[in-house]
Amino acid sequence: MGLLAAGIGAGIVAVGAGIGIGLIGKGAVESIARQPEASGDIRGAMILTAAFIEGVALFGAIICIILALG
Amino acid sequence: MIKFFTFLSLFIVVFLLGQPTVLAADADTESNSPIDIMGTVADHDYFTFFGTKLYLPRLFLWQDDNGSTQFSTYGSTKKALASGNFEQIDYVITPVNGSMLIDFSLTSHLLYFWFGLGALALFTMYAGSRYKKGIGTSTAPKGVLQNLFEVFYEFIRDQVAKPNIEGDKHKKYVPYLFTMFMSIAFMNIFGLLPYAATATADITVTAVLASFTFFVTQFSGTKDHWQHVFWFPGVPLGVKFLMIPVELIGLFTKPFALAIRLFANMMSGKIMIIAILGLIFIFNEMYGSIAAYGVSIFSVVVTSILYILKLLVAILQAYIFSLLSAVFIGMAVEEHEHDHDHDEHIHADLSV
Repeated sequence: MGLLAAGIGAGIVAVGAGIGIGLIGKGAVESIARQPEASGDIRGAMILTAAFIEGVALFGAIICIILALG
Repeated sequence: MIKFFTFLSLFIVVFLLGQPTVLAADADTESNSPIDIMGTVADHDYFTFFGTKLYLPRLFLWQDDNGSTQFSTYGSTKKALASGNFEQIDYVITPVNGSMLIDFSLTSHLLYFWFGLGALALFTMYAGSRYKKGIGTSTAPKGVLQNLFEVFYEFIRDQVAKPNIEGDKHKKYVPYLFTMFMSIAFMNIFGLLPYAATATADITVTAVLASFTFFVTQFSGTKDHWQHVFWFPGVPLGVKFLMIPVELIGLFTKPFALAIRLFANMMSGKIMIIAILGLIFIFNEMYGSIAAYGVSIFSVVVTSILYILKLLVAILQAYIFSLLSAVFIGMAVEEHEHDHDHDEHIHADLSV
């Protein structure tokens, strides 16, 4: 049961993080296309925000690992 | 003199805190699976050097039943067990009569932690000696290493510290951020070498690194930083009390997220590579060697691509760690010069 929960949880975490990072990438690419001279700043902000989302996703992943191993 | 003591105490703190616990004292497990993923990823009591295992010394500070504290050193885990004073329960070494106070044993992750710091020290000392001679200050920097040093240093100064820490204050934190970036990058890259262990794939190592950021952030926090924690400006009285626990938890979740992020990224890369390569051995056991040959074509190609990705991730995670450290420090050292405007500003924001 714990293994099932961990598997489903990891999947949901991946979906959430994927949507989030996808939206960031969409926004970044669109704004670079609109304003190519600001691409350096936009890339920095993109990586920073993606790192925050990744952090939240990894919290979920860690819980899943604990469920699977515990 | 004070500088020397600061250096010495910092040195001791770094080398004692970077103490990963030995999760797996021995690689042989009872499971009959052809590959042991967690056993490979976990910390070991030996250092693998081109296939040979060099067992590392074990150092224990323990208390026997009479209440006297003892410090014992053994050449390896086997010698510690052979002495009769210690026994092994679920990979954890405990004294037969008494209790373990601190396990100071050297482990593979700890060694690679030291290798990372040592490589950083050699690198910076080399560059420092060049600058002392005048190369790079009066003339252009010479040589691959010094140019590499300048590239990384300027990257940290201009891309990480300057945009995130306001004003002239960023100068104070550039050395710290550079140290963090380079040591994590070295540890991550050393982990990609054959037979090596990734020190940053250990939660204790990343927790120590993140705790440095935590302490630097808190000790450099201005009055405004603490005011935002304990008496949030510009909100009604009830909300001020509500904000105190939220902000207090926020102080600790930031470094916690830093530690987890680095650890999980390095760990997941390792597990992915071991699992995909392990498919070969699993297929060999289940369907015979022909199937294993077939899978190996897929596995080796995917692993090679993953390895290139891991090289990127190794540098990227070091960058993200130092970038987030800079963001947190920048938030703490920020000073709001006009408090009245600040209050109105927040009111305006809330009303929107």
